[in-house]
This record gives sequence, structure tokens and C-alpha cells, in this order.
Amino acid sequence: MITTKIYEEVIFQTVVRGSTVIPPDVEAAFESAIARETYASAREGLQRTYDSLMLSKEIKRPACPDTGWPIFYFKLGNDCKLEGGLMGLEEAARRAVAKATKLGFLRSTMKHPLTGYDPGNNIGMNIPDFSYKFVPGDGIEITYVAKGGGSECFGGTRHRVVAFADGVQGIKKFVLDCFQASSRAGAICPPSVLGIGIGGTANVAANLAKEAACLRTVGSHHPEAPFREIEESLCEALNMLKVGTMGAGGDTSVFAVNVEYAYTHIAGIAVATSSNCMVARRASSRILADRSVEEMISPDWFEGR
Amino acid sequence: MAIYELTAPFNPEDIKKLRIGDLVYVSGKAFTCRSRLHRWVFDEGHESPAAAAERDLLIHVGPIVLRENGNFELVSFMPTSSIRFEKWGARSVDAWDLHMIIGKTTMGGRTMEMMKKKNCVHVSPRGVSPNLWVNSIKISDVELFDELGTIEATWHMELDRLGPFVVDIDTEGNNLFEHIDEIVSENKIKAMELLGIPDDFEYTKLY
Repeated sequence: MITTKIYEEVIFQTVVRGSTVIPPDVEAAFESAIARETYASAREGLQRTYDSLMLSKEIKRPACPDTGWPIFYFKLGNDCKLEGGLMGLEEAARRAVAKATKLGFLRSTMKHPLTGYDPGNNIGMNIPDFSYKFVPGDGIEITYVAKGGGSECFGGTRHRVVAFADGVQGIKKFVLDCFQASSRAGAICPPSVLGIGIGGTANVAANLAKEAACLRTVGSHHPEAPFREIEESLCEALNMLKVGTMGAGGDTSVFAVNVEYAYTHIAGIAVATSSNCMVARRASSRILADRSVEEMISPDWFEGR
Repeated sequence: MAIYELTAPFNPEDIKKLRIGDLVYVSGKAFTCRSRLHRWVFDEGHESPAAAAERDLLIHVGPIVLRENGNFELVSFMPTSSIRFEKWGARSVDAWDLHMIIGKTTMGGRTMEMMKKKNCVHVSPRGVSPNLWVNSIKISDVELFDELGTIEATWHMELDRLGPFVVDIDTEGNNLFEHIDEIVSENKIKAMELLGIPDDFEYTKLY
């Protein structure tokens, strides 16, 4: 049995890490983009962001004050025993988010959509957001994603049904158009980690896109060749736009393009995009049945897909 | 491209000579606002905060501030996207006699017109570097904290060489990002070629 005390503390620590520390693959993406960049202003923007991120890690402050939507991904062993069950887990996650907000690790960002009421703790109707994946085993893996408002609100996250007649060409055109519009004036805080979901119903495509943006590591590839081809060709094409750091011109417009897919209806291909900011934040931890805890470098969300 | 160090309240002549692409470091008195304050004043008819009458530098930002024993600790600061306030942009520049707005992205045509008329510029950050900025900012007061909440309240900030920010709208009606839009559109032709998308591509209309 994994006790409430253990998982609540692990969730809290994962939330704090998720807000204050960018993962090693994103750190490496900054380093290689800085080394490659030929526009002086873009290089300086990346360097200053990187320097600030290194400080965040050291002094435990948010990597960006927009700590975004609080989102949890739980990868749950089929034989995992949690004290209080899944309802207990979600309650503990809400308490951890409220505590992290009170201590300044998260900004009080979540508000009522109509009145603007700010509860001050990031807790409200359907927030935080919880997603689950069930796997063999008796442990639990916890991933926290701080999904920024810029990357979500300015057209970086969109959906369209593409006809089979338009196929891969239609998919690529849609992504190119979305990225051009949303990266204007740096609205989505580029260089972006861009997620693309192909297939399923609209919500399936949108979820896959968000997971591809937030849970895949930068530098990973889809194992199936046709999807890897879409990732690589779009990555090259979007960088050719020279949108650059914060949209002010530069060689790196995306750190990565990650594609995930689902089978779809013969009637059409749902395509969704989800962009993540250059300050792409996530943190993952694992609790095993013997109550040992470890920090994970990757959420391993698509392991086995 | 030139680099300037300016102090708010500004000398209007200093604002006039700024051109898109210039970099600025800013000291002096500023106040903050997001959607809720714009709505509070311009849609709901409440009085403007006192800071708006005394200060000509507005920052579009929702900072993280811890408030303990009457003291304020600024934890994190990054300008937010100005374009979402376009509905109120021209009125805010006019009513609050602004000379500079610090915000992410840029603003639209109506605000640019008013900026030209009122001698006001918009400047934006080149990266996301909150930890390099917080030591350049002291919080001296807050208005509308109870009414609007911690991130939508009007914070009074005293700045010490905060920057660098790039001028993206100058007082002659130029916008840096409009130039970049043109470059990106030209580059898109090459990107389409690479992706094998014909330039006359049209989606099959499904809806």
C-alpha cells in the first residue's frame, strides 16, 4: 500500500520541480540552439532565458511567472494499491497545488471563466486536469505539466478535419498555417515544442497533440517512418520561416515537432496542434510498491504507445 | 539600432527619438495592469487607480507577489501579451497619458494610431528571463488588491535599469513585427516547396 503521506509529498515535490526546473532535454535544446544561432538578437534572447532558467533551478523560483494550467498525468500500475484510492490521489493533488500556490511556486492563475473570480489557489471546476494511463505493475508514475497561457491561447492549439483527399499535404499545410499565425510577435513564446495529433475524434487528436507537446522529450522520434517523416520535414520547414526567439527573427523557431496518432474514421482526418513554450516545463516521479521514490527524466508516456 | 537608458516619468523628447529595433533599459516609476483592470475602468466605469494619474509607464504583467506582514516580495516577473488588450489599448494610452507600455507581443492598428498622437511607444522582451529582472524591481504599493486579486491588481513598481526591451511600436506608426511578418511570409514559400505543397493548394471543403 502506498500511503497518502508518501504520494502527497511526492506530488508536491513534482509540482515544485515542474514549475522551477526545465527537464534536461529542453536544457540541451537551448544549448544547441544558442550554439547554432546566427542572429545576435535571437541568441541573446535565448541566452538570457537560459541564464534565468539556471537561476530558477538554483533558487527554486518559477521558470516563468505564468505557471499555467495545472495538469497531471498518472501512469498507474494495474496492481497499484493507493491509500484512499484514486479519489484520495486527486484530493492530494489538489492540496499539493494549493500549497505550491500559497508558497509562490505557482501563480494564482486559474479563475472563473465568466466572472473572473480568483480563488487564489488554482483549484476550481475541472481544474487541475487529470489524465490516466493504465499499465502492468504495482507502482505509480506522476507527471506534472505547467502549461503556459501564451502557448495555449494564441492559436498554437487548434483543430481541423482534413479530407483524405488532402492527406499528408493537408496535414502539413494546416500545421504550417497555424504556426505562422500563432508565432506572430512571439505570442506562443517560440522556439516552440510543437505537438501534432492525427486521427481519432477532435478530442482524441487534441489530447494526443497536447501529450506530444508536453510529454515527449525533445530529440525523441515517432517509431513509425511515415510519422517520423512528418516530424522531421515540418521541423525543418518551420525553422525555415525564421520566426526566431520570441518571434523577433532567428534560426530556431521550433525545438521539436512531435507527432502522435490514432486510427480515424473513413470520413476524415482530425488534426490538432498544441504548442509548448520554449520554457517547456514538466516533471515526473515514480513511486514503487515498496514505497521507494525516484525522479524520472522522461514521463515515458508513449512507451509502448 | 541604438541602446537607450530612460527614466519614467519620461522626457517626451526621449520617447520621440526611439525607433523600432532600438533597445531600452528603463528606470523610475511604473504601474501594472491586465484585462480585469481595463474592464474595471473602461467597461464598468470605475475610477482609474491613482497610479495612472501619476505614472506614464504601464507594464502589462501579472507578477507573482508574496504578501507577508505588510511587506511585498516579488517572486517572478515576465510581461504578458499586450495584443489581448487591444480592445482597450487606445483608451488606456489616451486616458492615462502613457508614454511607454512594456508588454509581450505588440498592439494593433487602433492603439498604434493613438500612440502616434500621444507620443507613446510599445516595447517587448527578447526572452523569458524573470530571474534576471526581479532584482531591478521594487514594489512600493498596490491598489485594487481586494477587488481584482493578486495578479490583476495595480502594482506600483520602482524600476532600476530594467531591460533590455526592444522597441516594437514607435511614435511614427512603425511596427517591428509587421516587418518580420513580411519576411516570414516570403520564407513560407520556400517552406511550402520543401514540404511538397503546391502554392495554389486549397483544402477540400468539408464545412
